Amino acid sequence: MCQNPHQKEINPSHFEGLSEEKATANVVDHDFMNYTQGMKFFDPHMHMSSRTTDDYQALADAGVVALIEPAFWLGQPRTGLASFKDYFSSLVGWERFRSSQFGIKHYCTIGLNSKEANNEALAEQVMEILPLFLQKEGVVGVGEIGFDDQTAAEEKYYRAQLELAKEMNLPVQVHTPHRDKKKGTERSMAIALEHGIDPKMVIIDHNNEETVKSVLNQGFYAAFTIYPFTKMGNERMVEIVKEYGPTRIMVNSAADWGISDPLAIPKTAALMKIKGIDLETIRQVTYQNALDAFAQSGQINESDFIHGLEIDQSQKFNGNTVLRGGQAPRINKNSMIIR
Amino acid sequence: MIYSSVILAEILRLANPTETVWITSKSKGHAKELALAFVMTPRFVSKTSINNSTNVIDGWDWQDYTLEKLVRIYFICLISEKDGVDRLNLLFDTAEINEAVALHSALPALKNPTHFLLRATDAVRSNMGSVFESIAFENPYPSLYFSELAWNQMVLKCIFNDKAIHRIYGLEARANQTLANTLSDFAHERWAAGRRVPSQVWRLVPIFMNENLRGDIKKLEQSDNPRDILAAQLVMQEIDQPRSTKEQWKELELPEPIYQA
Repeated sequence: MCQNPHQKEINPSHFEGLSEEKATANVVDHDFMNYTQGMKFFDPHMHMSSRTTDDYQALADAGVVALIEPAFWLGQPRTGLASFKDYFSSLVGWERFRSSQFGIKHYCTIGLNSKEANNEALAEQVMEILPLFLQKEGVVGVGEIGFDDQTAAEEKYYRAQLELAKEMNLPVQVHTPHRDKKKGTERSMAIALEHGIDPKMVIIDHNNEETVKSVLNQGFYAAFTIYPFTKMGNERMVEIVKEYGPTRIMVNSAADWGISDPLAIPKTAALMKIKGIDLETIRQVTYQNALDAFAQSGQINESDFIHGLEIDQSQKFNGNTVLRGGQAPRINKNSMIIR
Repeated sequence: MIYSSVILAEILRLANPTETVWITSKSKGHAKELALAFVMTPRFVSKTSINNSTNVIDGWDWQDYTLEKLVRIYFICLISEKDGVDRLNLLFDTAEINEAVALHSALPALKNPTHFLLRATDAVRSNMGSVFESIAFENPYPSLYFSELAWNQMVLKCIFNDKAIHRIYGLEARANQTLANTLSDFAHERWAAGRRVPSQVWRLVPIFMNENLRGDIKKLEQSDNPRDILAAQLVMQEIDQPRSTKEQWKELELPEPIYQA
């Protein structure tokens, strides 16, 4: 199916495929939330620092109860250790708080990303402070680490961080490169195995049709980023789940500063349901598998969020709250009057 | 004053044998090891409620603490006793939310507490609810060490954010004319916007009355909100008979978010 925006042909219908699916296409309701009522979602890859409160509100409304924010670069290289320190600190501080205001449990993974591993002088300093952050409450893994350009420096710090993960018994969230992805993915897995890491402790991210088989066959978790244009579309995702089943597969949205969609998981769940994938499979790839993979850190308690975040008065920014929805006045976005 | 031993006594009252072994073994370390133990505490110590008021320092109330938080405070005190100021600064700089809460709650028990004044006023600036509360509420540090300017900023931010001011320790002792005047200005802004201020905040004005404030109290008397009318009565009574209304203000000690007006 055509996912390339530069392709001149018009995209085929989303619902072509089986004849039942074609029939469904004529009656499908375009409000995805009509298909996801009662579902809960766990998004294991969201860069919420680049997102607004509107996004948090939409996530809460769509049933996202918990998320993981991997440490990454910020669109341009950092020039000193202090900005790394403040960024890591914001992932366990301010962003965690901001998320709690919307009743969403926020976890994170901490790591030196592949792009900035290439600044070796700075990378050495970052490696020094990583252990302190990796021990913190709610830090559920080392991530996102791996290859970008696949340079020697990237490999050096990927290996060093695998050792840290092993030492601290934490899962590893592996970013796979955009360019030369297939080789980069294979290389990432081979190195993890070489370091004696159990593949079930490793989540290989940003998979596609070309990489998934090998990842699953070697016993790793395979994550798929639903990201318009450059990574996966969710129709392709549905086909992958049909082919490989739910085991060790998880979906995420990335939700970064590029054109991405924070509601990618609920939308994909709706599409899976329309396309006849059973509810248990949907639950596994949009909630349970991510939970199981990262709960290996010992830092996730499902009871903390499954019934909504516990209302802790002191957690609130001020006297009002948005926890468990509807307790505070909500802004009517269509109203011209702002009070 | 060394506080770690009295804190440890309370910890040992609540910790189970496994926790006790972990805590006592970690407590023997150097500053660096203590700092790591501080970070790792939730992995080894439960969040059991303390549910016990102790009076180690006036106004330092552990009632709502958890065991894990008290153990963290214990490690902080040990680091402080070993002069590990650099270590403490690193912990402040890298703190996750629960760590930040423990660090600020521990401030009154540290050696050279004024050394951490900027940390404390930064916590007042924080928009993380629990971090602000860790310095403002059940904590004697601000009443002991804040300048009048910093104190007033904290009380006003508390009111501005619809948090209930009676949890601030030293409210009466640190009341001042500037705060009373600013409170009047603040109330006028809220009233102009068709909003209100929580009734209990008027307890800060009786001994600082001037023409402006008298006008404000008149306005409260004419309010159709019974809480405001009671507040006006209590202010007048306090003027007539100083220190006679403390118990009666308790009726107004509740959060009053503006949107519930």
